Amino acid sequence: MIEIEQIRKTYDGTPALDGFTLGVERGELFGLVGENGAGKTTLIKILATLLRPTAGVARISGLDVRREARAVRGIAGYLPDVAGLYQDMRVTEFLEFFADAFRLTGSQRNVAIQRAIERAGLRERRTAFVEQLSLGMKQRLLLAKTLLHDPKVLLLDEPATGLDPLARIELRELLKQLNREGVTIFISSHILSDLEDICTRVAFIGHGRNVADAEGHTVVKLGEQTEQATACEIEVAGDADAAARAAATFAGTHVERGRSKILRIQISGGIENGSALLKYLLNAGVVVVRFDARGPGLEERYRQVFGAERK
Amino acid sequence: MNPMIRKELRQRMRERRAWLLPTLYLVALGGAVALAYYEVTSNSGNGQLQGAEMGVAVFYTVVFTQMALLLLMAPVFSAGSVTIEKEQRTLGGLLTSLLTPLQVWWGKYVAALLFLVLLLVCSLPVLSLSFSLGGIGPRDVGKATGVTFLVLASISAIGLYCSSFFRRSVHSTAVCYGVVIALTVLTFVAFLILASRWESTQIALGKPHDEPPRSIMATLYLNPFFSIVAVFLEPRQKGVQDWVLSLGCFALVGALAGMLAIRNLRRSGEQV
Repeated sequence: MIEIEQIRKTYDGTPALDGFTLGVERGELFGLVGENGAGKTTLIKILATLLRPTAGVARISGLDVRREARAVRGIAGYLPDVAGLYQDMRVTEFLEFFADAFRLTGSQRNVAIQRAIERAGLRERRTAFVEQLSLGMKQRLLLAKTLLHDPKVLLLDEPATGLDPLARIELRELLKQLNREGVTIFISSHILSDLEDICTRVAFIGHGRNVADAEGHTVVKLGEQTEQATACEIEVAGDADAAARAAATFAGTHVERGRSKILRIQISGGIENGSALLKYLLNAGVVVVRFDARGPGLEERYRQVFGAERK
Repeated sequence: MNPMIRKELRQRMRERRAWLLPTLYLVALGGAVALAYYEVTSNSGNGQLQGAEMGVAVFYTVVFTQMALLLLMAPVFSAGSVTIEKEQRTLGGLLTSLLTPLQVWWGKYVAALLFLVLLLVCSLPVLSLSFSLGGIGPRDVGKATGVTFLVLASISAIGLYCSSFFRRSVHSTAVCYGVVIALTVLTFVAFLILASRWESTQIALGKPHDEPPRSIMATLYLNPFFSIVAVFLEPRQKGVQDWVLSLGCFALVGALAGMLAIRNLRRSGEQV
């Protein structure tokens, strides 16, 4: 659905994107993570047809974002990181304007506006001026406006910025719902727990290029344990130092002391090695009060990829 | 109807200046007429004052005051028009919709111009006051209004160009006022310098010096006040009339500013 091939973008000779390549399948909810200035916003702006790439090709549903920009705008919805609203317009007027801007006419226009109002949860506030809405309502209105023309692809740049926890949860649920309805979603965010919750795959970007994690993957499939490593968190009663020493003697482990009686252990191999370790510790007389085995999370992978670089 | 025009007009009419500016404009115009009336009557001495003299005085006072006021107001409506979208971070929404840069520009341009037309229409009754005094006909009123409209259309296009070029309204408006001052003051100063040099040369050569050649007059072609003067001047014996050339220059500059503004809008993704 989204194909990005060796895309480059320079600003006065300084590269913002330097040969980034990516493919997103139809119906995916795909995340893009990277540090500030990594090129995420530039990439999304190129896909949204706001910026022209210096080199390389980007396509959405087979349409070249540079040559067929207008057609791309017809099938893509773009929500920028800091989007503005016309504060002096009423909610319905705002949506009517964008419905007209997307050339919706007749009943199609009315239905789209009604659906947008429902989607934004603003039925009671439809005649209110935009400036009277809360930040969460404004963000919902922006997303509803982005969805007015039924886009096949959603390009979201930091959509949860400034939202309170409840609004973030609502946004996540809405994105999941849209994804279930068949909308392909490409989202950049610094809130890794949100991405981990909703995304099917995530790509890393750094200095405008693809960045690989410790296992050499530039794109990570989420919600799957890997064969390479399992992370465990163990809470013990009694002597935590002795427990750490015992754990370190188990083959393929790397032990880190967490706060008070918590051990964080990386075990090479899959989840079955986690249960073997638990059995080993119990046999060694360690009193385990909590054992949590999971694959390396997005945060962990992110730390592996970008943590070393920052140090 | 272009949705941009509807949106722009709706937003403009909700602003306080939508009623404040026409009010101040008419007060200023009324004040100028009162001043002209006072001047003409006090300078007439004991002699009988002809109604036509008063009519002509009132007419020219209104026409020039109107032009001066509208030249001051035109940048207010046009020079902040695109920059406000950049400042409010709403330009991205327009550029990623199915609106073309031409439609966005046209919507902004028409809305800016329509407000100036509203002010022009407001002043028509004041301008027509001279009918009752004589010396001025509807044709003169039409000519003055037409020329003022064309000049303002061009200034609005320049304002929109500035707005598409700069990121901030304050910079755009300042540069647009700079252009207006350059067109009104600098062209006049340049004309005075060139005309006085030419006159001294003519005197030295012992030649008659009734009217400067077209090459010198051309410095005034982009002067808004000259456009009005030129339309009421005695027609030239041969060649194209000065008012035609002056309005042609304004139309050309306006069209060029419009094209460049649309090009800037097309490339303004980096300013979003």
